[in-house]
Amino acid sequence: MAEPQPKPRELAYVAAIAEGVRTVMQEQPDAFVAGEDVAEAGGVYGYYNGILKEFGPERVFDTPISEEGIVGLGVGAAATGCRPIIDVMFMDFMGECMDEIANQLAKMRYMFGGRATLPVTILSMAGAGASLAAQHSQSLEAWICHLPGLKVVMACTPYDAKGLIISAARDDNPVIVVLNKMSLAMMGPVPEEPYTVPIGEANVVRGGSNYTIISFGRMVHEALAAATQLEELGIDAEVIDLRSLQPLDSAAVVASVRKTHRAMVVHEAVRFGGFGGEIAAQIQEQAFDYLDAPVARVGAPFSPVPFSPVLEANYVPNADRIVAEAKQQLGL
Amino acid sequence: MSSEITDDILLDIHRRMVRIRTFEERAGKMMEDGKIPGALHLYVGQEAVASGVMVHLSDQDYITSTHRGHGHLIAKGGEFTYMFAELYGKATGYCKGKGGSMHISNLDLGMLGANGIVGGGPPIAMGAAFSCKFRKTSNVSISFFGDGASNEGAFHEAANMAALYKLPCVFVCENNGYGEYTPQANHQAIVDVADRAPGYGMPGVVVDGMDPIAVHEAAGEAIARAREGGGPTLLECKTYRYYDHVGVRGMGLSYRTDEEVEQWRLKDPIVNFEARLAEQGVLTPEAAEAVHEAARKDVDAGIEFAEASPNPDPAAVTEDVYA
Amino acid sequence: MSLFGVVANPASGKDVRRLVARASVFDNQEKQAIVERVLIGAEAAGASAFAYLNDPNGIVASAVRENRRLCAKPLDATQTRTALDTITAARALRDLGCSVVITLGGDGTNRAVALGWPDAPLIPLSTGTNNVFPRMTEATLAGAAAGLIASGQIELREVAAQQKATHVAVADERPDLALIDAVLSRERFVGARALLHPEQLDTALLTRAEPAAVGIAAIGGLLHPLSEDADEGLLLRFGPGGERVRAPIAPGLYKTVEVAECRAVQTDERVAAKGPGVLAFDGERDRSLKPDQPIEMRVARTGPWVVDIRQTLELAARKGLFRMEAPGARRKTAGHEMAGHNRRA
Ligand SMILES: Cc1ncc(C[n+]2csc(CCOP(=O)(O)OP(=O)(O)O)c2C)c(N)n1
Ligand SMILES: [Mg+2]
Repeated sequence: MAEPQPKPRELAYVAAIAEGVRTVMQEQPDAFVAGEDVAEAGGVYGYYNGILKEFGPERVFDTPISEEGIVGLGVGAAATGCRPIIDVMFMDFMGECMDEIANQLAKMRYMFGGRATLPVTILSMAGAGASLAAQHSQSLEAWICHLPGLKVVMACTPYDAKGLIISAARDDNPVIVVLNKMSLAMMGPVPEEPYTVPIGEANVVRGGSNYTIISFGRMVHEALAAATQLEELGIDAEVIDLRSLQPLDSAAVVASVRKTHRAMVVHEAVRFGGFGGEIAAQIQEQAFDYLDAPVARVGAPFSPVPFSPVLEANYVPNADRIVAEAKQQLGL
Repeated sequence: MSSEITDDILLDIHRRMVRIRTFEERAGKMMEDGKIPGALHLYVGQEAVASGVMVHLSDQDYITSTHRGHGHLIAKGGEFTYMFAELYGKATGYCKGKGGSMHISNLDLGMLGANGIVGGGPPIAMGAAFSCKFRKTSNVSISFFGDGASNEGAFHEAANMAALYKLPCVFVCENNGYGEYTPQANHQAIVDVADRAPGYGMPGVVVDGMDPIAVHEAAGEAIARAREGGGPTLLECKTYRYYDHVGVRGMGLSYRTDEEVEQWRLKDPIVNFEARLAEQGVLTPEAAEAVHEAARKDVDAGIEFAEASPNPDPAAVTEDVYA
Repeated sequence: MSLFGVVANPASGKDVRRLVARASVFDNQEKQAIVERVLIGAEAAGASAFAYLNDPNGIVASAVRENRRLCAKPLDATQTRTALDTITAARALRDLGCSVVITLGGDGTNRAVALGWPDAPLIPLSTGTNNVFPRMTEATLAGAAAGLIASGQIELREVAAQQKATHVAVADERPDLALIDAVLSRERFVGARALLHPEQLDTALLTRAEPAAVGIAAIGGLLHPLSEDADEGLLLRFGPGGERVRAPIAPGLYKTVEVAECRAVQTDERVAAKGPGVLAFDGERDRSLKPDQPIEMRVARTGPWVVDIRQTLELAARKGLFRMEAPGARRKTAGHEMAGHNRRA
């Protein structure tokens, strides 16, 4: 799929998020932003800077520290005609509001025989690497991808952040946009005008002929770095950024694997029970005969995110671990 | 009813407050200098609360803490060596470098952890209180939590259950007027969190959280009541944090005025307490200075210990997940 | 037409006596509702404007949002969350020429008002713990009484009586005041304020001693009752050698107290005592005394004027101030423009 030609303007990831939110607020009079410290403070990471000023306190407001209440507010408001943008500051805090997400938001439309429409956009910050330890660093996308009724997207560039937020907000389904705190300062081209990044379409970020790395979120950048290293080993890796986990663009994955015959899935979340397992399963279901090697998986070890920088460095997957895993997979 | 406070207790409270202040001032500076990784939420300004409560407790009594947890651990007897080692992420830290500031804990001291989840503590404290009762001990469990945390469903569930089961639990709300950058008026329609207590079926009390004696007296009553099987109490301490939500200068947002900070500093729990102790002839300025000096030395020794300590073995990342 | 004043103490009804003495939590929502009813009563009785202490909990401000018919003037008082707020507010109310002030709180709240405005005209409503001074009264009627006075339909002096106060001179420091009881205790700290250790009591000077009260006034009251009307005070020196009395020193808390000496003192008779210790006024520890620091206490009828609500409303009834004219009837007199708005309609 041809992306709109980006203009040369560069924006930081954090500013691209803000621009996505702004765009949504401009185009949708029924949209509002609610969350902890999103208004006066502009968000603890600053990605709502200027939103309060532009749209006023009726549409942009600080909530109590009540995640279940905040998401519930979004569910009830969406079911009755609003288009809420709900901020769940850290993805770890989904624990606090998981009932509203899993049992209400995800299921209401189905339970009501398709009569409810829940255009809720949830923005939430994931990712390790800042020594924020076990309760502020997790990547919990597997939790929410397991819930029929939700859409889940992950943005790894400023361009995708803005485009995915706009798509999410225009979607009539609940969409959770997972952002990454380690990418906030990352610069990248972002068109000034509104544009969308389609939900459900993977992005081939690097073409390759004999190896496929499927990734999403910040790990896409590690996958790209690994692909460069793998060149020296004669491996010409294609890197796919899924961008959307639910719905999943398995066609893009399968097409690539049928071409390259070898595949690896990389994500930051704990490997065991992670979303990579689903991708590996789909590959063996749809491209078994094309595989020259078992599908490899790279993810975090089976432990909570540690605090110590030394331990955290050994926890979060990176390009070296991807290369090492590929070598082992391929017997190099 | 507890009897009149002794000089020993006065000095004990003073020492705990000074230790917290000294530790936090240094830790905050080190974080901003980039020497300590991650995020520190400093307890400076709130020392009277942790100290006034903790002198009533033994190591067999439990507390749960918050993201702003150093003060609670120090007042509960935490050692600077292991604390600094934890803040540095060293193998010798209280949590072997796995928890850091936000999860600092020492179960041997009955300190069930700082907590990265706002509102995470109260249900755990309630559970520990249940355990105290279940095991037929006379121990109590104290939950420290903020004004912001009082809006989490978890707090309400814990309060209800503690009252229902008449558990030896004291909910100590450290109302410092803000949840992160949001003033209390923007996060709840009430000003006194203690007003909610009758709704759960427990007494609610408001005390000046900048006055260690006021905290000590009220906490003493609440703890005695809990030990005697009288059930839980909601004790609200009006207090203030001098520094930003995270670190010292923090994000540099202008969500409160310098004047407000100065007003609260006039009520400084340590400065005013030292003046009163001097008046009473309990603590001379020289003796007070010696307490500060000892705390500074402990901080130096703690930092030295932390810096000399080894990093965790990278392979330790997957250890301690299961028993 | 003059202003009436409203002072609601956000801190009343919340101290450690909830715990020690099973006193009730007086929540601020209830206080707000009380202020709302005060305003409704005052409006019905013909008041048009009032001034109030803008307490940091916004009790009165919230009530004002619910009643925009009365003109409301917030005072430039401090928001220190201490008695200072009430003291400065009381001064400001006096300077504004308020004809009567409604207070919400306990004995301590009214004492703070008296510190700022010693002979303030008061309608004290009880939202506190030890309440000898304020009475349990329906706020609507308190508001009506205030409205009648503020609108000039009823003269304050016709329905109010001046109360006694205990004046406390403290060597080298500012003087102080109690409305019911001034106490020297041998405790060392103000701490959680409530006066709960009778074994530490040293000296008390009471303006009244009521058998049907709680607090220090009850100790005296059970030994030697003394009413507000009597022009004398009651001195208690605590300790062994005299009588032992079982008294409710706080709601829900009976204690046996030893009283070495108990006698009436004439107004302006000076009672001496000295530190160390803390001075407690009207049930709350308030300030500390250094060793040997002398104090002198005396009772005098210099305190606030307290309005008798029943008397006020009976007078209003006799004057027909709430009587409505028959529909369509023309007003007989044009001059007297003070009636309630129901008559104005
Ligand atoms: C469940 C959850 N929600 C939000 C946060 C982010 N957060 C951390 S501290 C804080 C403010 C807490 O305020 P309060 O309880 O008043 O404690 P204080 O920081 O004032 O000590 C917030 C919102 C969190 N850590 N956990
Ligand atoms: Mg707070």
